[in-house]
Amino acid sequence: MTSTACFIIVSRNDIPIYEAEVGSAAKREDAAQLHQFVLHAALDIVQDLAWTTSAMFLKAIDRFNDLVVSVYVTAGHTRFMLLHDSRNEDGIKSFFQEVHELYIKILLNPLYLPGSRITSSHFDTKVRALARKYL
Amino acid sequence: MADPASTPLGKMLLEEITPVVMVLCTPYVEESCLKNGLSLIQLLSPFCDFTNIDVPVRTASDQPYRLRKFKLRLFYSSDIRQPNLEVAKERLKKVITHVGEKNFLESSDPSQVNNLLPRPESEMLPSWFQFFNKELVRTLSFSDHEAFDHPVACLLVVSSKDDEPVNRFVDLFNTNKLPSLLNDGAMDPKIMKHYLLLHDNQDGPFNKATKLLADMRNAFGQNDCQIICFNSSQDGKIHHQDNPWAPFKSDALPTENLGGFLNLDDLNEIKDFMQELSSKHIIPYMEQKIRVLNQQVSATRKGFRNQIKNLWWRKGKEDTIDTANGPVYTFNSIESQIRILGDYAFMLGDYELALSNYRLISTDYKLDKAWKRYAGVQEMMGLTYFLLDQSRKDAEYCMENAFNTYLKLGSAGRRNTTRCGLWWAEMLKTRDQLKEAATVYFRICGEDTLHSAVMLEQASFCYLLSKPPMLHKYGFHLVLSGDHYKKCDQIKHAIRTYRSAIPVYKKTTWSLIKDHVHFRIGQWYALLGMYDVAVTHMLEVLASTHQSKTTQELFLRDFLQIVQKTGKTFEVLKLQLPVINISSLKVIFEDQRTNASAAAATVKESLWRSLEEDIIPSSTARSNWLELQSKIMPRKYKESNICVAGEALKVDIEFKNPLQIPISVSSVSLMCELSANPEEDANSSNNEVQNNEDRTSTSSGDINSCLILSEVDFSLEGGETTVVQLTVTPRIEGILKIVGVKWKLSSAVVGLCNFEFNPVNKRVVRGRRKQHSPSGDLKFLVIKSLPRLEGFIHSLPEKTYAGDLWPLVLELSNQSKFPVKNLKMKISNPRFLYAGNQKELNADFPACLKKKMNVEKSGRHANVNKTLQNLYHFPEDISVQEETSLSWPLWFRAAVPGNIPLYITIYYEMEGVSSIMKYRTLRMHYNLQVLPSLDVSFQLSTRPSRSQEFLLRMDVVNKTSSECFQVHQLSSVGQQWEISLLQPVDSILPSQSLFAGQSLSCFFMLKDRRRSSTSEDSIPSLSHIQSDVRLGPQDNSEAFFDVSSSPLADFHDCERSSQGMSSQGCEYKVDFVFITQLLKGNSDSSSNTPLVFSHHACDCSPSSMSPISWLVDGPRTIQHNFSAPLCEVNLKMTITNSSDAIVSVHINTFDSPSSNNQLIDDATTSQPPEHQSGWSEIPIVNDTKIITTEALTTRVPKSLSLESVPQFIWSGTSSTELVLQPRSTAEIPLQICVFTPGIYDLSNYVLNWNLTPVNDGENQGEANKSSGVCQGYPYYLSVLESNFKD
Repeated sequence: MTSTACFIIVSRNDIPIYEAEVGSAAKREDAAQLHQFVLHAALDIVQDLAWTTSAMFLKAIDRFNDLVVSVYVTAGHTRFMLLHDSRNEDGIKSFFQEVHELYIKILLNPLYLPGSRITSSHFDTKVRALARKYL
Repeated sequence: MADPASTPLGKMLLEEITPVVMVLCTPYVEESCLKNGLSLIQLLSPFCDFTNIDVPVRTASDQPYRLRKFKLRLFYSSDIRQPNLEVAKERLKKVITHVGEKNFLESSDPSQVNNLLPRPESEMLPSWFQFFNKELVRTLSFSDHEAFDHPVACLLVVSSKDDEPVNRFVDLFNTNKLPSLLNDGAMDPKIMKHYLLLHDNQDGPFNKATKLLADMRNAFGQNDCQIICFNSSQDGKIHHQDNPWAPFKSDALPTENLGGFLNLDDLNEIKDFMQELSSKHIIPYMEQKIRVLNQQVSATRKGFRNQIKNLWWRKGKEDTIDTANGPVYTFNSIESQIRILGDYAFMLGDYELALSNYRLISTDYKLDKAWKRYAGVQEMMGLTYFLLDQSRKDAEYCMENAFNTYLKLGSAGRRNTTRCGLWWAEMLKTRDQLKEAATVYFRICGEDTLHSAVMLEQASFCYLLSKPPMLHKYGFHLVLSGDHYKKCDQIKHAIRTYRSAIPVYKKTTWSLIKDHVHFRIGQWYALLGMYDVAVTHMLEVLASTHQSKTTQELFLRDFLQIVQKTGKTFEVLKLQLPVINISSLKVIFEDQRTNASAAAATVKESLWRSLEEDIIPSSTARSNWLELQSKIMPRKYKESNICVAGEALKVDIEFKNPLQIPISVSSVSLMCELSANPEEDANSSNNEVQNNEDRTSTSSGDINSCLILSEVDFSLEGGETTVVQLTVTPRIEGILKIVGVKWKLSSAVVGLCNFEFNPVNKRVVRGRRKQHSPSGDLKFLVIKSLPRLEGFIHSLPEKTYAGDLWPLVLELSNQSKFPVKNLKMKISNPRFLYAGNQKELNADFPACLKKKMNVEKSGRHANVNKTLQNLYHFPEDISVQEETSLSWPLWFRAAVPGNIPLYITIYYEMEGVSSIMKYRTLRMHYNLQVLPSLDVSFQLSTRPSRSQEFLLRMDVVNKTSSECFQVHQLSSVGQQWEISLLQPVDSILPSQSLFAGQSLSCFFMLKDRRRSSTSEDSIPSLSHIQSDVRLGPQDNSEAFFDVSSSPLADFHDCERSSQGMSSQGCEYKVDFVFITQLLKGNSDSSSNTPLVFSHHACDCSPSSMSPISWLVDGPRTIQHNFSAPLCEVNLKMTITNSSDAIVSVHINTFDSPSSNNQLIDDATTSQPPEHQSGWSEIPIVNDTKIITTEALTTRVPKSLSLESVPQFIWSGTSSTELVLQPRSTAEIPLQICVFTPGIYDLSNYVLNWNLTPVNDGENQGEANKSSGVCQGYPYYLSVLESNFKD
């Protein structure tokens, strides 16, 4: 388990639709917004990189000091962004893949409007469990 | 890329990496120069930059080339040392602060990112970055590991005023005063010297100076001495167009006339001198030095042999010198020589030579682990590659290498890292690798926060300028930079950067980011004392629901503090706190329909309308009431709402606190406009508009006198939602428009909310009039004040027990100056409430309910009619006069348990007050909670013997949890029934009160008086009728409650009608009223009047159970000698048909206990089977045993279980069917055989009855139940062994 990890799902319109601090470190008030800043800034890099590869997992694409941003882009250009300080790439990849499955399940829900906020507590629980498992 | 030298970096390098000339001068020289407001160096500087010098240069190669651009840098000897770190820092800080002040005032908010982009690069990029970078690089000059800052030549200047100038020249080049670079061996102290005699023309004639010059030439050589005469102008009034000194004296005041004493000749003389100095002396000197050094280097280091030797030699040297910074190189070491050679070549523009030398030396330094020097050389290599415009990769590699090497050095190489990074970034920028440049800028950031801030800002601009622009990164780096600026107290810079970031984050949904940016800007503006701007930014973060509680508290507290500091109350149009739910807006107004209470207003209009249908005059009720007034009312207000002057309009608005912390809201009030009705005084349409506008403005001025607005204060807990009712009372006629609502947050900020913003979602309660124009919804036509009745029902309980009977008083008060009349009242639920007579108003309760001898029975039927229609007409003569009130009695009875809504509407008319409204209605609404009290059920069964007499069983269960009821009486309604107790109440219920949870069963005898009277043949008088039975204390002399008079009779009728019964009593049906009392004293000590509870049961009839009754008759005890084989017992069953139909009865007897019926019977009676078998097991005589076993054997095939089998069998027919005529009786003989003595229960038979359908449709109700099954009832037969034998 990494000490810092912030997971955000960004819709294709650059709107965060799901946010979770999944790190084990004690939560700091200003850390949350720094994480948002870093991830938000990394969107530029994702924009560049997403079209250069056919892989969904873009690996670590950006870093800020010791925080690394790993990104996974779905076919619908929804971006899973993980800010972390660990180097466990395989774990992160598995994490993204499993979250992708969960996300597809959310999309299959006829009551879920794609691009809207994911409020399902079930999803949240699952994502956190995955984070514990892989990160 | 055309020419590397013309790029910003190239220009910078050509400016910065140039030969340095050390200047030594005497105080007199300075004095003369200062007359012009300039120091010597400042005076000379403009003429050191040669853009077209065109000097042929021949360095290492034989092929000469022409040098076009050349520059000399002049420094006083005292300045040739490494600048003081603190001073340098201070200077940089000053630069930044200065820029901050300047930019802060100029800056305007770029509102849109899109506006930001198309502007040219130069416009976007602040120019001061260049300046700052240059300053930053200069802090590193004269470091010992680089040679290009080492003075190439020395210029000694002596004034002609000095005594013995020749000696002065010697004194000047005194080693004690020379910079440390020359003294500590870092550079060659044998430096080229040039001697200059400065003659001030104001001091004296020129010939003295020429003489001195001759002396100098003798002493120092012909070529190295020169003279300059200046200050030729006597008055110092010469004004230079485009002043050449301005760039070199930054702190000059604009009024200062620089170079006032210098005329054109002086300037030309200086210019010529400088040109000659550089082209004739410095450049040739450098050429020569390069050639010498190159030969030396070639001899020692070039060639294969030398390289091998060098490698070997280096290895040997390794163990001898090993300091932290690598070995110390003196100027005459070969390494320093190579470096000097490289730098000189670089400065003379021979980049190939420079590069080869740098390459040579870098390996040496690397081997020696002289990292700083190594990095320096790598840096120069990178720059040389750049200027050669050759391999880009190499250039970048060298820069990165240098950068990383400096970085490895830690704090010692910190500033070198910065410089290297700056150059590197510039290089990348030149090559349009902006992204990489930004990364470099980011990497430069180090310990010095202020410098980091500037670097980050530069990085952000790189991101902005990159193609495509990386706006996210731009914003992020601006914010980072702002944070750094803030750390250094550069608040203005911080605000500037953050404000530039706003366009990036303007529409973002990344809430934390947005909040952070706005909150910080707000905070910083507050620090600067610009509270107004601060507030506007703070407003953005107020309603941040996603933030944690502490953050929200922080936001709100800071916001309020800032607002407080502004010292005035802000009016904010769209204050986010609290959130107003516009769609919840509900306007309650009263036209001819008035509400007695707020509760009445919430009831659906359709409900009222259905209730009022009968009482509103039909002509107006059917059609739209507005049509009637179409002649009077202006057409455009035909559809507008009407309200009455002096009566309050209520507006319900929902306020929601989105935060987790409590907020206090005060002075919530409506904003309204009241204008005169334009139709009343307008003649032409033009005037109309004019007048209207005028009045609007004036009336809003004296709005206090025309409108009364309510103010509400409340506080909201975190996440709480509250509905606030605001009222506005117009006091004069006109047109009232509700504009919006305003409130005060924490008594500091005034928030305004305009209702017009979102008119679509509005909902006006009076749903009938759907508006076409949304603005009309909140527009009201105020008409003259009218009478308005206030209605109130006194002491109507909110919570009561079922059956509670209670007199109430309805009070109608008229506050106006006009009487109202023609009152009508309609009650939605007459089971609960109906109007009494006026004379009952002061009657004593409950005594008025009691039986009196002189009760008029005639009044009852009138009541019946009235209550059935739910409509009560007040007597014609009743009117509510002005400023009086009318009280009217009402009877209340809680008929059924549950939540009961009561709707009462009162119609009244007023005369001659208004032509628009002739009548009004008052609507009252009450909600009752009726709890279950007593559960009373009656069971009526015919006495088998006499069909006129019935057995009545009353079961009462007290269902309350705490109350104790006192039973009072049971009455049958009507005069045909006589009721009497079977056993005294004392035996059943000694206390006469029924406690909570207690149940009571009573048996009564009920006699049909008509039947009995026919037999007695006499008509009974009323006094004889015993239709009431007292259940209370027998000795009590209290009279019975009169169930045949109002109000009990009326309520009873209501009960009947509500239960769907006709009011005419049927022959065999009887209604009961059970009355109990509850002593109120235990709950409410103020009055000990007992509460009266009445429970009504309608249409109890015996036939509802079963049309037949039967009686089994026969011996109860039999003595039999069981030595005889068996004992036969004869019984007789008498079956009576009490119905009016023909009944066929089927009697089934069964012996088998496995029969279903028997099992059920067993289960219900829950009697163990062995009890039934009696004492049959006990043998009395021996021989009986045989018989018993014999008897057993006969029974065994029938049943396996011995105990469960009755010890008798039915003999004779097991199934009998017979048909009974209406009201007839039949007898059937039955027989059983008993084998052993014992007590037998002869209940194991079943009567199946079937009603034959009747021809006449009289008894439709009974026809429903056309068949049934009756279980046999216990009949115990004791069979005894007779002792004597006959």
